[in-house]
Amino acid sequence: MFTDTVLLSATTPFSYFPIVLQLCAALGFVGLTMFATHFLGPKRKTSDKLVTFESGIEQKGNARQPVAIKYFLTAILFVLFDVEVIFFYPYAVNFRELGWDGFLAMLLFVAFFLGGFFYILKKGALKWED
Amino acid sequence: MNELQLIPLLPFIILAMASVVTILLIAFRLSHTVIQVTGFLMMCLVVFATWYVRDTLPEEVPPLFIVDGQAALFTGVIIFCVLVIGLFSYIYFEEREENPKEYYILLFLATLGAAILTISQHFISLFIGLELLSVSLYALIAYLRNRNNAVEAGMKYLVLAALSSAFLLFGMALIYMEAGSMKFSGIAEKLPQVSSSPLFLMGLGTIVVAIGFKLALVPFHLWAADVYQGSPTPVTAFIATISKIGTFAVLLRFAQTIHLQQYPLIIAIFSVIAISSMIVGNILALRQQNLKRLLAYSSIAHFGYLLVAFLPGNEAGTEAAAFYLIAYSITLLSAFGVITLLSSREHEAETLDIYTGLIWRRPVVATILAISLFSLAGIPLTAGFLAKFFVLSAGVQQAVWLPLAVLILTSVIGLYYYLRVINTLFGTSGTADVMQKTVHPFFHVSTYITLVVLAGMLFWIGVFPGLVLQGIRLFLLLH
Repeated sequence: MFTDTVLLSATTPFSYFPIVLQLCAALGFVGLTMFATHFLGPKRKTSDKLVTFESGIEQKGNARQPVAIKYFLTAILFVLFDVEVIFFYPYAVNFRELGWDGFLAMLLFVAFFLGGFFYILKKGALKWED
Repeated sequence: MNELQLIPLLPFIILAMASVVTILLIAFRLSHTVIQVTGFLMMCLVVFATWYVRDTLPEEVPPLFIVDGQAALFTGVIIFCVLVIGLFSYIYFEEREENPKEYYILLFLATLGAAILTISQHFISLFIGLELLSVSLYALIAYLRNRNNAVEAGMKYLVLAALSSAFLLFGMALIYMEAGSMKFSGIAEKLPQVSSSPLFLMGLGTIVVAIGFKLALVPFHLWAADVYQGSPTPVTAFIATISKIGTFAVLLRFAQTIHLQQYPLIIAIFSVIAISSMIVGNILALRQQNLKRLLAYSSIAHFGYLLVAFLPGNEAGTEAAAFYLIAYSITLLSAFGVITLLSSREHEAETLDIYTGLIWRRPVVATILAISLFSLAGIPLTAGFLAKFFVLSAGVQQAVWLPLAVLILTSVIGLYYYLRVINTLFGTSGTADVMQKTVHPFFHVSTYITLVVLAGMLFWIGVFPGLVLQGIRLFLLLH
């Protein structure tokens, strides 16, 4: 009776109990590992450890110089096309039901999208030689 | 949704088009002046469209939007502000930034976000509008990225606004869980059954956190001073006026639809927020030596005053709030306009010693600043006085005595620091004035004229408020 009404029904607060257990386990694991590694692991405090790690080579100068980040623009363009595809997919699935209204809405969307793409192209996003 | 429902949305569609047009103009490498003028014309077109669709109001565009008189009123104020801010931006960015064009895309997008807030009647449109507003603001605040303050301010706003958005979403989720609807009217229908549920109240509470952050109410005000100081002055004006008008408009609509003010608990929460905002804002401003920070603290106090008009939840309160927002935005626009005009390429005109004896050097500009400070302090004959008066009378009708008493007492404190600045304006000038060559005489002159007109409006509204009040009533009747 108890198992039926309390443990198995999905509507009582008690049905969240497994999640609470899991949460406790997750927190406990993280806490325990941090505690254990902190106290059990060996420590060597030398000044070399504070130096930036350069794969064993002695470091030369500061790495913080301006670099042309083409990755960034490429990533943005990727996100742009990705989002476009995300919107295209539900449209493709419902292509027949949406009819001409859907087609016009999609055309409008693509027009806005191409406007943005045109802008970024004119800004020289795909120009690789500086 | 059918074609007829698109008509009342016409102003918003044009507003959205403005940023697309700006993008294309930039792509074709047109000059800053062309973009500025086109943006100005597009905003005029929005005003014209609002006037054109006035007969179709009120119109509901289910499920997300409702375009009624109140929305048209607040959108009108927002568009007015962006027209003025756009004008201030020209001279400001032309002198400082080699690439000032993208600024306008972000400006129009943020304006669109605020305008969407005024017409939203659904949590989804509320969230989209708020995000459109804040995401554009992140970039706008840090636009002059070579300044240390700007990046710091942008970063602070980014982190805190993202956190407050998380609160907003969580609150929406909790309310949806209890009421089963995201539409304001749907929530209102379910309200009798759920109003005592703790989850629902928690949801409301977290939404209050997010709204309080956007309006910079105490205790969510800590970002205000740094962000006001760090952002470019036109953007500061934007945050102080448009962003807050939009957020307040959606708060007002939410409260009206679900009759928020009938719950004593909610009234208590908002009273505490209003009282603490008034006290903390005014006290923090007392010894402030930086004009932009001073205006930030004063805006905290002013939105505390505004909440007093929000507390009664009656017609008079809405009217008073609308009037207050109009008076407040004109006042702040003229104050920030003066700061923009006085700022040089290297220095923002923000420390008070720049203003020492300004009246002897540039009498017109100093007079305008003095008038706007008088209006902020609520001295009679200026719009600020009448705005405060209407707030008081709305509060008296519903007998919210404690916030009213605090309003009056803190206004007196406020008087001190506004008069301190005015006193500085009339002080003996130590620094010789370096008259800078104006590079863009046309825009300088038009900024000057705009400032004079704004100051004139402050007087005109302060002496003859009838026309404005009548307009507000006419708009508010359309619902």
